[in-house]
Amino acid sequence: MIRLQRVTKRFGSAAEALSNVSLRVDPGAMAFITGPSGAGKSTLLRLIAGLERPTRGRIQVNGHDLDRLSPRAIPGFRRSIGLVFQDHRLLFDRPVFDNVALPLEILAYRRPEMRKRVRAALDKVGLLHKEAANPRTLSAGEQQRVGIARAIVHRPVLLLADEPTGNLDPALSREILRLFDDFNGVGMTALIASHDVGLVESMGKPILHLEDGRIEARATTGQPA
Amino acid sequence: MRPGRRLLDTVPAWMEAHRDAARRSLQRRLQAPILSLISIAVLGFILALPAYLWVLLDNARALSAHIDHDPRIALYLDAVEPDTVAELEHHLESDARVERWDWIDADEALAQYRERLADPGLLDWLDENPLPDVIDVVPATTDPAALGALRDALAAIAPGAGVVSDDDWVRQLNSLHQLGLRILAVVGALLGLGAVLILALATASELRERQEEIAISRISGATHCFLRRPSLYGGLITGLGGGVFAGMLLLTGIALSRAPLEQAAAAFDLPFRLALPGASHLLTLLLAGLLLGWLGARLGSGHALRDAP
Repeated sequence: MIRLQRVTKRFGSAAEALSNVSLRVDPGAMAFITGPSGAGKSTLLRLIAGLERPTRGRIQVNGHDLDRLSPRAIPGFRRSIGLVFQDHRLLFDRPVFDNVALPLEILAYRRPEMRKRVRAALDKVGLLHKEAANPRTLSAGEQQRVGIARAIVHRPVLLLADEPTGNLDPALSREILRLFDDFNGVGMTALIASHDVGLVESMGKPILHLEDGRIEARATTGQPA
Repeated sequence: MRPGRRLLDTVPAWMEAHRDAARRSLQRRLQAPILSLISIAVLGFILALPAYLWVLLDNARALSAHIDHDPRIALYLDAVEPDTVAELEHHLESDARVERWDWIDADEALAQYRERLADPGLLDWLDENPLPDVIDVVPATTDPAALGALRDALAAIAPGAGVVSDDDWVRQLNSLHQLGLRILAVVGALLGLGAVLILALATASELRERQEEIAISRISGATHCFLRRPSLYGGLITGLGGGVFAGMLLLTGIALSRAPLEQAAAAFDLPFRLALPGASHLLTLLLAGLLLGWLGARLGSGHALRDAP
């Protein structure tokens, strides 16, 4: 599903955000990226999502060679991915329902099907009763779950999450990771960045550890490039 | 085709997407009514000015129809052979550019002249009638080019005839009208360009306010067309509003200037009546508004989305 070969990313003349990173995540797998702030976790996810271009190296995601992806093909590629952000990035000018429906609108779903899918996604994250609420009125944990519902509502093949538990207490964090585990259980490949090593280790999934833009260590199944 | 979606669904889905974009665009305008009304007013003023000038010009041209002074072509036949005169008469009968023609006999003309003289006895001093036979042609057209062509055709048949046309005033009025139209076209084009740029700026600033939505939509796979769609509908809404407002301004302007213009015309003995623009003219105004609104939105959104993250 994801394959990085000797990928380096440098922003302007600054130090390399990622240096020579190679990794592989198989279809249907779930893996974590850990590391301190500034280790390059977000950069790595942005490269995989096609939001940044690598300075060097090759990235393949879901059969696409991102280097060769034409600008016209980028929207189509991004529709196969669900992205969860630490700061949720919800739109406060519309209710929860419309926030979650955004990817389906982009995919031009018809209203009845859209309603069904949005409700299913909200039900999955336990927020069906909040569909008419403005996201501003929700707690941080609820906002994060709305962000997750938006990321999975169009049933992407790959789910990327950047510090999805960053602002949450341990109980909520565990709940969110369990949600990702559920999505993975129905075949969604998931790659999750988190600085909370203890929590991540408790999930029993492969872990890639980033330190200063390099992969320092990795654990268990199906990831060496 | 995405899994679970049927081909039959795509057209209604596409229409729904457009309806949603239009609805959202309208809602956004209703949420900021003052700014929207300012855009509509600016477009309305810009459209109304050239439209008003056009109505005045059009009425001025129509004025020529009111003036009881058709252009004429007089053919003086003193040096023309009878055969050529017959040929001339035959041509005048068949030429569609001729409305009617009259034969003015030299003796009749002299008799009429005699009646107008205070002392008719003066004419008895003449040995012979100095007046020629004349054919007075009333052309069917007031178009200067057509008049010139008719005059040349008649002169070619009877090279010896004196051909005098009385169409200077038509030419003058026509060239003034042409000049007016040209000035109007330049003024209209400049104002239109200004309107497009103002609307482009408004669209770009609106898109800057939606930056977060655009960024999230892009990440979710939105195409350029999807992101631009609400702006284009916004442009059409502003254009429609501007067109309607321009129509109202135009009708008000005409209503206010009607009486003074007609009084001024009456002072010149002209039966002038300022005509209201017809439905087709108001529709043109509406379409011009829609076009300018759309162009402004397209220019502004293209620029803003290229720069957006």
